[in-house]
Amino acid sequence: MAEEILTSQVREQVGALGAADIVVGIPSYNNARTISHVVRAANAGLLKYFPDRRALIVNSDGGSKDRTREAVEAAKLEARELLLVQYPLQPVHRLSTPYHGVPGKGSAFRTIFRIAELVGARACVVLDADLRSIAPEWLDLLLRPVLEHDFDYVAPYYKRHKYDGTITNSIVYPLTRALYGRRIRQPIGGDFGLSGRFLQRLLTRDVWTTDVARYGIDIWMTTIAIAENFRTCQVHLGAKIHDAKDPGSDLSAMMAQVVGSVFGLMETYENVWRNVFGSLPAPLFGFPFEVGLEPVSIDLPRMLAAFSQGCRDLRPVYQQVIPAPLLKELTDCASLPAETFVIREEIWAAAVYEFALAYHRRTITREHLLRSLTPLYLGWVASFARQTEPENPAQVEERIERLCLVYEQLKPPLLNRWSAGKG
Amino acid sequence: MNQFWEQTILEPLRELGRQAVTSLSSLVGMLVLILLGLVVGWLAKEVIYRVLRVLRFDRLCDRLGLGTEIERLGITRSCSYLAGQVVQGIIVLTALLAGLTAMRTQWTQNLVERFFLYLPHFLAAVLILIVGALVSRFLGRSALIAAVNAGMPSARLLAGLVRFFVMTLAVVAALDELGIGRTTIIVAFAIMFGGLVTAAAIAFGLGAKELAHDLLNAQFRPPSRDAEKDTIQHL
Repeated sequence: MAEEILTSQVREQVGALGAADIVVGIPSYNNARTISHVVRAANAGLLKYFPDRRALIVNSDGGSKDRTREAVEAAKLEARELLLVQYPLQPVHRLSTPYHGVPGKGSAFRTIFRIAELVGARACVVLDADLRSIAPEWLDLLLRPVLEHDFDYVAPYYKRHKYDGTITNSIVYPLTRALYGRRIRQPIGGDFGLSGRFLQRLLTRDVWTTDVARYGIDIWMTTIAIAENFRTCQVHLGAKIHDAKDPGSDLSAMMAQVVGSVFGLMETYENVWRNVFGSLPAPLFGFPFEVGLEPVSIDLPRMLAAFSQGCRDLRPVYQQVIPAPLLKELTDCASLPAETFVIREEIWAAAVYEFALAYHRRTITREHLLRSLTPLYLGWVASFARQTEPENPAQVEERIERLCLVYEQLKPPLLNRWSAGKG
Repeated sequence: MNQFWEQTILEPLRELGRQAVTSLSSLVGMLVLILLGLVVGWLAKEVIYRVLRVLRFDRLCDRLGLGTEIERLGITRSCSYLAGQVVQGIIVLTALLAGLTAMRTQWTQNLVERFFLYLPHFLAAVLILIVGALVSRFLGRSALIAAVNAGMPSARLLAGLVRFFVMTLAVVAALDELGIGRTTIIVAFAIMFGGLVTAAAIAFGLGAKELAHDLLNAQFRPPSRDAEKDTIQHL
């Protein structure tokens, strides 16, 4: 029998609430500034779009110390049930805060999904607690494909600034698309709709206490949805604006957590992606409207300096990971002047595949491997930002599309070497 | 007259003959044992080399960084071959010691006894050096990657220092285990380490006052708006 993660008190509370068609889950950790807005928007969305459905809003909090729970209580709702639960924050969550999402986001999701399962929810939506741009329409967009069109997983499709989400645009999206053959544009978006049967499948997995659930819960869910043939779609949500992250947060740790999750899943789903070639679009619902985006400033000289230093100082590490000809092409880029600096798509995609292979083969310690990708990534971002400076969003999207196609073209050689590397 | 011949000439000659036969048989025994050791050692080396190659031992060593460390010492042989050679060496050495024991003389007995008393210390010292090399490599690489990601210009120097200190610690511990110049080495190490730390502290305090100020500021004061040149969201 699966381990019960809800306390008897929470189970009693849930039992007293009875059945519900919809569960809205909001995992939180120190989100006092924004969470009441998210709760109110969710409530308004449910009232407006699903007035006849019984719904439950669950805030799963990881022991916030900034009065997040009070903020949720303050957003007292009229017609909806509100359930506040705390998920246990393990020592490892406290020691190592993820740079993507709340600490122990996996535990928070597990709590929400278990409650959704107990109340027999047909659909569940999870929302980031730090959202500032959420509107009641998001509930309709994320839930309707599940409730009325029988989809199992609804991924967000945001309008983002061309310099926003660069890890998503340069690694996570192209790689996931090339591997599993589905074009989910925001695979780690943070706000998702799920069907009852999909979350039941998720609950049966025993990865909830592993690093994948801890740091890569979003990409884990997206990958399972695609790899295990659940019906998946995307919805236009407009702009995603959320509370600014800690500016001092460590990019290399973020890289290690996010990219490590994607590489880890490559091992789990090897049997799936080795038979996939090319990619298909995922159905996209909603109305694509233009939105005002917050300006993003970018420090190109700093990024170029980081790339050059990486090529120079981390050469012994890269020599173990990247074949000599490719490494030469990369390091040659470091000697280009800033005005003409460019890393071609082929070089970047090949480098990412080499890192995936090295991860698979455990060529060097995985933490070292993933963290050493940071300078190369900054070089790619600098190249991307320089090239896209005069471009409009459509042109930028075309450029990302070209990168994705390169990833897809380079997949067959990766496959051959992946198998050869097994031992 | 006969008794004289018997006692002074023939008896010593017989004794000499007996001793010669005993010594010769011991010598032959020793040679046979050594020869056997050489043959068995060679066979063991070949078997171990081939088995380890099948088991991809070299890849494991490369992954652990041991292969690179060995290469750095100027040894071009693979780890599998070296492991075979180590086993061969142990077998030959054991045969040599067994051969010496077969000689049944006082000094060979003492030599063998002392060798076996010293052997655990020697093995412990070798183990300390191997672990030290692996740890220094790991920590050196951690420091290098962290320093590069932090944009420190002297990342390689920092990584080199980390490797040097860890390796020095390992060498001191190994020599201490072997009992070589125990007091001298520990005192020398303490003086060197203390001196370097003091020198670094003084140099940092006097020569890099501004840097110390900036570092502490960066550590304990929230960044000013001007400092936030990047507002890029990577995810």
